[in-house]
Amino acid sequence: MSGRASLTLPILAVLWIVVVAGLAILQPSAMALSTLTTVLQFSTLLALVSLGQALVILGGGAGIDLSVGGTVSLAATIAMLLARAGMAPALVPVVCLLAGTALGLLNGLLVTRLRLLPLIATLGTFYVYSGTAIAITGGSAIGGVPAFLLPWGRGTIAGFPLPFLTLALPLFVLAGIMLQATAWGRWIYAFGFNERSARLTGIPVDLARLLAYAFSGLMAGLSALVSLAWLGSARPDVGHNLELTSLTAVMLGGVAIFGGRGGVAGVLAAVLLLVTLQTGLLQLNVNTIWQVGIVGALLIVVLLIDTIRMIRRPA
Amino acid sequence: MMRSLLRAIGERELLLAAALVAAVAVFSVLSPYFMTASNLVTVLRNCNELFLIGLGMTLVLGIGGVDVSVGVVMGLAAIAVGRLLQADAGALAAGLAGPLAGGLIGLLTASVVVLGRIPAIVATLGLFGVYRAAVFLALGGAWLSGLPTDLTQVLGASVFGLPAALPVVVLAYLLVFVAIRYTPFGLYVLAAGNSEAKARLSGIAVRKVQFAAYVVSGLCCGLAATFYIATYRNVAMTVGGTLALEAIAAVIIGGTSILGGRMSLLGTAFGVLLLRILQNGLLLVGVPSLWQPVVTGLLLLAVLGTEAATGRLNLAAASRHLRLPSRSGAAA
Repeated sequence: MSGRASLTLPILAVLWIVVVAGLAILQPSAMALSTLTTVLQFSTLLALVSLGQALVILGGGAGIDLSVGGTVSLAATIAMLLARAGMAPALVPVVCLLAGTALGLLNGLLVTRLRLLPLIATLGTFYVYSGTAIAITGGSAIGGVPAFLLPWGRGTIAGFPLPFLTLALPLFVLAGIMLQATAWGRWIYAFGFNERSARLTGIPVDLARLLAYAFSGLMAGLSALVSLAWLGSARPDVGHNLELTSLTAVMLGGVAIFGGRGGVAGVLAAVLLLVTLQTGLLQLNVNTIWQVGIVGALLIVVLLIDTIRMIRRPA
Repeated sequence: MMRSLLRAIGERELLLAAALVAAVAVFSVLSPYFMTASNLVTVLRNCNELFLIGLGMTLVLGIGGVDVSVGVVMGLAAIAVGRLLQADAGALAAGLAGPLAGGLIGLLTASVVVLGRIPAIVATLGLFGVYRAAVFLALGGAWLSGLPTDLTQVLGASVFGLPAALPVVVLAYLLVFVAIRYTPFGLYVLAAGNSEAKARLSGIAVRKVQFAAYVVSGLCCGLAATFYIATYRNVAMTVGGTLALEAIAAVIIGGTSILGGRMSLLGTAFGVLLLRILQNGLLLVGVPSLWQPVVTGLLLLAVLGTEAATGRLNLAAASRHLRLPSRSGAAA
């Protein structure tokens, strides 16, 4: 456990430097402050979703949330459709968060109440959420995001986007503290590592797991809000591929797929690495479909390395 | 006699047959176009690919696995078929190229999932991304369209009003049926799906069985690709986008357990038919096709929810039943 955890951050840092160096050689013009801003803007969306995904996976019980992308899309479109129907603009952020939390709560109820396998329950809701987002908008973006959101969504301090500084970073710090220093955090590790023992100890496993899925939905709702404030419109496909990318970030960040091991610092580092890689490819005019392929391949490689480590050093 | 027949067919299959009759009745009332011969033939024709992929998916779910990349695998195999058609290789060579390509991709999927010991959902999600990129690479950014009609003439022909494709689909069904009903393979699949550890202790080569299931699934996707090309004669970048969900939904609706250890091929056939009839009927009633993934997803969740509510999938309830002497027989 400690071997992997302590190595995750240095390995990710080295990989990041390699990516940046490669980009600097191939495309020197990309080495600008604006690139940093772009990377961190994209990172904010992915980081929030990955944080929720990380908690769900840490909680074990085959936990996984495949619906995150659909939740982001649906929360954003619901908020903007309501705003267009005459809802007070000030309520747009509230609706984003409420919609995200409600959709996450539904996942949690399916998993903890009906005891559906998380992968199949969230696969179902993924298609329901993302399909609904596209169907109710007819596939086109909805403009007219309240003006008061844009300065926050597009503002920067010394090149650092405001959503990253005011939302993603603090939330990761809070989540890190929560996982390490509060009973709820330790419980997540406990039942992620050994659910049976945790139940026998009296930990409210089902409640905590339900909250983890609701939290994942809330993070997706926040991500939807950031996308609105940044892009200025609700795109029904804004969450496209986020399930694959967030899973890759969480695995790359050193969280064990079976739960109970890993932390959020690695996840944030992995998010930055992934987005830097994607932005770099974009700068080199590589088609975005390659990014999906590379992210998918990375996911498999990371898990293969895990397998090899397990075979060579049986626990 | 009646009772033994009922037992052979099973509750779930009867329930599905009833649901099919009900769906057909409702849509015939709601839309005058539904009950026409041409529409029913279209529905049946649209079942081909999903049914073939469903056959493989039944095995994959039967061993307790899952594969969300099947739609893109079909797309990749379809490109192979299309390229051969373009090269004037003839219907037979092009048609066989589908299963061959599918089988090879199945080998890759099986290697990653089984040999790599990666949870199937994560591994196949990763492969989904890789295969998508491969589709892009193979297509070179442009659609494959306006393909020669060699295959279409063979598989699209109709014999006595029935599509000529039917014998091929029935043969594929019978092959898988015989393999799981009359050879030890079926028992191995169910045993491995029920409990990997116990199956291994009974001397079953669990990993070989799992490997075989994924390869067969690849073959099925490849065969589906041949039919896909025969019908549509084009391949788009987004090929097979929601096929995986539809296949998983159809198989689960058919009574195969997502946890493994229980499967029904006849149920899969009914599930595919029900799904396609629903999609066709809703379209005729005026529901835009954009809602199709939503309907499929809801149907999947509804079936799973009902199963959970009635205790079929409820692990906790099942283990509780085991402790009660009076119910232990039923649970086992």
